[in-house]
Amino acid sequence: MSESTETAVGVAEIPAVLKEINPAVLKRPDLVGHNRSFSWITEKICTITEEKTPKWWWICFCVAGFIASFTITGLIYQVGTGVGVWGLANPMNWGWAIVNFVFWIGIGHAGTLISAILCLLKQKWRTSINRSAEAMTIFAVVCAGIFPVFHVGRVWFAYWLFPFPNANTIWPNFRSPLLWDVFAVSTYATVSVLFWYVGMIPDLATLRDRAKNKVRQVLYGIFSMGWRGSNRHWNNYEMMYLLLAGLATPLVLSVHTIVSFDFAVALVPGWHTTIFPPYFVAGAIFSGFGMVLTLMLPLRAVYKLDDLITQYHIDCMCKITLATGSMVGYAYAMEFFIAWYGSNPYEGFAFVNRAFGPYAWAYWIMISCNVISPQLFWFKKVRRNTALVWVISIFVNVGMWFERFVITVTSLAREFMPSSWGYYSPTVVDIFTYVGTFGVFSVLFLLFVRFLPIMAMAEIKAVSPQADPHHGHQ
Amino acid sequence: MKRIPQHPKPSLAETTGPRYWRSLDELSATPEFQEYMEREFPEGASGMDGVDRRHFMKIMAASFALGGLGFSGCRRPETHFLPYAKSPEHIIPGVPIHYASARPVRGGAIPVVVETHEARPTKIEGNPSYESFGGTTDLLTQASVLDLYDPDRASEHRSAGRSVSRAELGDLLAGIGVSHAEGKGAGLAFLAEPSTSPTRLRLVAALRESMPKSIWAEYDPTGSDGSEAVATRLFGRRSRPIYHYGKAARILSLESDFLQEGGGQLRAAREFSDGRRVEKTGGEMNRLYQIESHLTVTGGMADHRLRLPSSRMAAVAAHLAERLEVRNAVADPETEGEIGDAFEWLDACAEDLAAHRGESLVVAGPHLPDQVHALCFLINKSLGNVGETVEFVELPETGAESIETLAAAIRDDEIRTLVILEGNPVYNCAVDMDWATVQKSVETVIRLGYHADETSELADTHIAGVHYLEAWGDARTEDGTIVPIQPMIMPLFDGLTELETIGRILGLTNPDSYSLVRETFGERVPVTDEFTRADADRVFQKFLHDGLIEGTQYPRIERPIQSGKAEDMAGRIRLPKAPDRENLEARFVADYTVDDGRFANNGWLQECPDPISKLTWDNAVLISPRLADELGIEPGRSMVQVARKDPNPGEDGRLRAPVVEVAIGGRTVRGPAVIQPGLDNYTIVLPLGYGRSRTGRVGTGAGFNAYSVRGSGNLHTASGATLSLTGETYVVANTQEHWSMEGRAIVREANLDDYHAHPEFVDHLGMESHTPPVYGKDKNLPLSEQVVDTPKGNSLYEHPVFDGTHQWGMTIDLNTCTGCNACVVACQSENNIPIVGRDQVRRGREMHWIRLDRYYSSGSTDNTKIPEDPQISIQPINCQQCENATCEMVCPVNATVHDSEGLNVMAYNRCVGTRYCANNCPYKVRRFNFFDYQQRELDKLYQGPLGPKGMPELLQMAQNPDVSIRMRGVMEKCTYCTQRIQKAKIDRKVQAQDSPDVEVPDGTFQVACEQVCPTRSIVFGNVLDSESHVSKMKESSRDYSLLGYLNTRPRTTYLAKLRNPNPEMPDSNSMPLSRVEYENKNHVGAPGEEHGGAGDHGDHEIETDGGRHG
Repeated sequence: MSESTETAVGVAEIPAVLKEINPAVLKRPDLVGHNRSFSWITEKICTITEEKTPKWWWICFCVAGFIASFTITGLIYQVGTGVGVWGLANPMNWGWAIVNFVFWIGIGHAGTLISAILCLLKQKWRTSINRSAEAMTIFAVVCAGIFPVFHVGRVWFAYWLFPFPNANTIWPNFRSPLLWDVFAVSTYATVSVLFWYVGMIPDLATLRDRAKNKVRQVLYGIFSMGWRGSNRHWNNYEMMYLLLAGLATPLVLSVHTIVSFDFAVALVPGWHTTIFPPYFVAGAIFSGFGMVLTLMLPLRAVYKLDDLITQYHIDCMCKITLATGSMVGYAYAMEFFIAWYGSNPYEGFAFVNRAFGPYAWAYWIMISCNVISPQLFWFKKVRRNTALVWVISIFVNVGMWFERFVITVTSLAREFMPSSWGYYSPTVVDIFTYVGTFGVFSVLFLLFVRFLPIMAMAEIKAVSPQADPHHGHQ
Repeated sequence: MKRIPQHPKPSLAETTGPRYWRSLDELSATPEFQEYMEREFPEGASGMDGVDRRHFMKIMAASFALGGLGFSGCRRPETHFLPYAKSPEHIIPGVPIHYASARPVRGGAIPVVVETHEARPTKIEGNPSYESFGGTTDLLTQASVLDLYDPDRASEHRSAGRSVSRAELGDLLAGIGVSHAEGKGAGLAFLAEPSTSPTRLRLVAALRESMPKSIWAEYDPTGSDGSEAVATRLFGRRSRPIYHYGKAARILSLESDFLQEGGGQLRAAREFSDGRRVEKTGGEMNRLYQIESHLTVTGGMADHRLRLPSSRMAAVAAHLAERLEVRNAVADPETEGEIGDAFEWLDACAEDLAAHRGESLVVAGPHLPDQVHALCFLINKSLGNVGETVEFVELPETGAESIETLAAAIRDDEIRTLVILEGNPVYNCAVDMDWATVQKSVETVIRLGYHADETSELADTHIAGVHYLEAWGDARTEDGTIVPIQPMIMPLFDGLTELETIGRILGLTNPDSYSLVRETFGERVPVTDEFTRADADRVFQKFLHDGLIEGTQYPRIERPIQSGKAEDMAGRIRLPKAPDRENLEARFVADYTVDDGRFANNGWLQECPDPISKLTWDNAVLISPRLADELGIEPGRSMVQVARKDPNPGEDGRLRAPVVEVAIGGRTVRGPAVIQPGLDNYTIVLPLGYGRSRTGRVGTGAGFNAYSVRGSGNLHTASGATLSLTGETYVVANTQEHWSMEGRAIVREANLDDYHAHPEFVDHLGMESHTPPVYGKDKNLPLSEQVVDTPKGNSLYEHPVFDGTHQWGMTIDLNTCTGCNACVVACQSENNIPIVGRDQVRRGREMHWIRLDRYYSSGSTDNTKIPEDPQISIQPINCQQCENATCEMVCPVNATVHDSEGLNVMAYNRCVGTRYCANNCPYKVRRFNFFDYQQRELDKLYQGPLGPKGMPELLQMAQNPDVSIRMRGVMEKCTYCTQRIQKAKIDRKVQAQDSPDVEVPDGTFQVACEQVCPTRSIVFGNVLDSESHVSKMKESSRDYSLLGYLNTRPRTTYLAKLRNPNPEMPDSNSMPLSRVEYENKNHVGAPGEEHGGAGDHGDHEIETDGGRHG
């Protein structure tokens, strides 16, 4: 605030902050530790893709591949036999498939949030984690996409959900939230892939330039699209990135809003609530950050990335987890309040039933994991204990899966007609198909770690202390 | 692949004229010759069979295709059909033909009209010409058509371990007749089921004449009707009481399940429900008092229900007789204490009966001892009911011996040849008779049976029987009206009828059933001067066409009951010790679905839930909540016991019943115990008809055999039973786990006087009473305007326009629905609904388009304890055909949409199976094909493409060609029988020709559930026509929409249930118990008050006024 404005209102004599007080400027923590140089950063990230494939990678890859085969086997069996191999029944016509879909799509939220929203908000700490978070997003969307496609009874006709001109002039039903889902998820997947890829171009060029064999040269050469790092390139690139960030930001909010419409638009008590869109978005970000922590902490340990993912980064992520976790907790409380306040007996019953009915075990797992466990992040000691942070992040993942389970299954199991109440139990096929998606996800993530720059080198350099001409001196 | 049509081979006997043969090989039908005939090419040309080039290429191509894709399940189903090479006369493909016939049942027959498609009977409906049944049928009749196409039915005659031809069989039977003719029939015995057939009566008479020393015995495992036995003794000739429920304002039933039992149950249900129809306020309604140990369908309809052990019925009858001053000194001091605190109840009831002299009725269950029946007759007499609500008719004498007499004769070695005609004594005879041994001791046993069952297994010769839909015959209904049994199709497996079998033994040369029936009938048509033979044929044709002969009822007995004789029969009451925890009373009852076991292999019936317990596929030992408590049976457990122990059975969707061992008289049987509210505390119920050891694929492994503990001394009730837990559990397949209505306004009920005071009571229940009226200001518009014009909410989306000529709607009267299940199977038969098997029912995947929800209510909102003495509310639920259908909105591919006549239609071909519609249906009526239920064997569903595929050819014949068969992955639901609607509209348009008069007049057609309903509770029609029956019903003040506040605007609406309690009774409640629960749950005012008033939002619970007995 300039002094002239203060003069204008006539209180010029006393400045807001007295000169003699001279408050100390809090030093922002360095985003790269130990004042590492640019070349150290390049070396660190590029070596990961260039070194000889480590043994642990092969072991992990084989295990992940084996687990991924569960999903493939489960789906072949399901398509060959019928959806009945899952635990579905009347009235629980949606079960684990939809739970898993929402779970994975929720995880897919952190990537775009970190890349787009934090970019627009000029949160510089995003640079160390955005690349792998975006990769995680895409792989999570791949896993998520499996379920809505295969949960339909006649998967070979699933393409009828797309609006394509046909001889019968039958169009999809544009009133159905499932159709909105098709658009929302496919748009989100497309934009996320684009965003990820565009952000990677300068780093791919670095890899190309360092490549020592023909194959790498050609492949990285193709994918870096002739990047030379000229001023004009950087200018266009920055503009493109900003535009994509602007484009992706509403998507972060829209995807899970629309996924929540699958439930909120239906009239099932426990689904039919207007709080769902914000609540789902908060939950998605919550679970996304949970997953980022789950992935980044081991990666940091394995590749000794402490200088790039500093304690400050972990602190930031913990705080966002805490904030969104509390929002989710608020939403749970608000659901109960509205159910009581609305005095609709069916709604009221649905929520009491969640907490005290036959699924109470699931509900209380959800509450402990989602609401109680992140509260530990209030304590600096906890945030600095990496192992504990990692454990809590796992809790968050578990809790968020149960949240989707509680919403989907407990509501369906006990609706309006007490005569048609039921209880959902998964089958082996359900469990294996779900567990297998972790394999699918891990396979993709391991390939990413091995072949692509796991951090945005160019961006990290831009925010590192070395890039600051003042070297910390104002 | 070459398709080989599998038609039943014509028998040699049927070919007429001289036979020619190509070689001696053909004449003797050697296997070599048959192979030669089937070969496409001469020998040698097919030397490469199996691996010829074309075949090799085909297999390889198919393997590549399958191997490459791995999705063999994705292919469109391939179907073949054969056109007629030459068009048969009278058959227009696609146009069904209807024939009148009848299904013989215990104690009568049900006149039916059978719909045949291209000579295949597919659907059975009642014959409307028989007015007392009004064109309705029962559950078993609906399902009986499936038996015709049972792939496991006996398909060949077998003798001495080999298959025999019809001609050989004829010789064998004739030989029996010849060999016994000399001794006047000595050594020959017959065991048959009771029958009303006049032709059989005639043949048996002829048999007795030519072979007077032969024994003709009749046997029915569920026993004879005690009221008939007593009436016979009273009048000195075979007679039967006929009860007129329609004339009775007050009915007291002692364990009589008259709405379900006996040959006249349809008439009883119709008359009884007519007495409960309160079309307008101020209307009168009958009142049913029921005293029973088991909870029956009739008991569920009762206004007052008293639980007492079956053995106490004699004491009850004696006490009533005393109260009504029927005779002196009946009251036996010994028995006084035996009916506990029920005296008050009985006295108030007796007073009510006495106040309705001549229009009351006391009826006792057919299984009760003669004493009770004698007392009931006396009570009816003294109440002036005889001649009013009770009549006696005279039945023709059969002169049949009992099975005990026959067994004694066999033991005395008097019988050389035993002919068993149907029935299944090895399975269902009293266990102490040891019929299997008795039967084995006979030299020659010939068994005519529809199935090759337990009895056939021990017989020397098994004759494949015929279904009533493929044979000629005749029968008499409960009141004696003669009805024809006409074949709809040639016997599929060349079986023999009972009449033909007897005819053969009698020595008739060509005893075909038609001639035998025609001959019987010839005796009835007077061929005199006026009536020529040609006239007789014409009259016979009319008989076949109408399906009955008017005026052939049994003659009425006008003689009064001799009180002295009846009193002697009543005698002194001797009661066994009252049952307790260690001395239980066991009831043996025929199962509501599989009857005495004869329907064990009928999938529709196995999967049809028991009307009360809702069990399918198995029977169970039914025990009272009190007994369960004392035995320490925990009603249910959660799958994961983290949060709490769940008090309700089946809370986790699986009803794990503890397996118990029942010991009666030293014999034991094991079965799952299921808690059944409403039972007498120390009565256990053992449903018969399960645990068949030799039956088809459907019935194998279903339930336990309660016959194995049923001795001849206790055919219906056994005392001294004990029950012990085995520690094992068994998951029973039931279709409804949760029994409480949870205080929700789903079935809306009121007491009759409350209804008269508050005719609009339905509007004051449920969320609708708190929310703005669904129809807005248009609530008072006529219905026909409401359904087409009123705004349907303020949605931006364009709503379907209801501009059709008709607007279809339905009403279901909860006040008259007894829950008999006939609609469930009628719908299954009409709409090709698959059965899914026990395992799938356990998972909750049953496919019925209409279901009957059964709720128990005790008046308490605490539903953690199963009530001992609940009130029953039954509600049929099919697709409600909402005008604002919630399912339509969420379907992403537009597979479920609305038509212009207000129907919510399913386009199966468009459905991809997201199941979102089923989630969003508040009524839960949508059914999903989780597997290819129509194509897969039920125990191989999980084998997927590896399992065998295809519906057995016989079962294919049972399908209704007007309704498509749904494949897996497709949602289905009630369509309001859209095929019937379309047919009626087309017929009407053809009739109308160029005139604009295309509106289908009311009553032209009926939908399947409506058609079958014995109580006419379901009414369907055009709601635009203000004169239509359905419009009239919807005008009733009792009419309400289920969950109406959701603004779904269902086209199916319900008429609230009314109860008619007697305020003088000790268990009388000021409002129905489900209503008490509703009021308590919603914290509104005291019973009867208009709620919403100030200051009545207290937390006080409304107490149920009545003292509950037990």
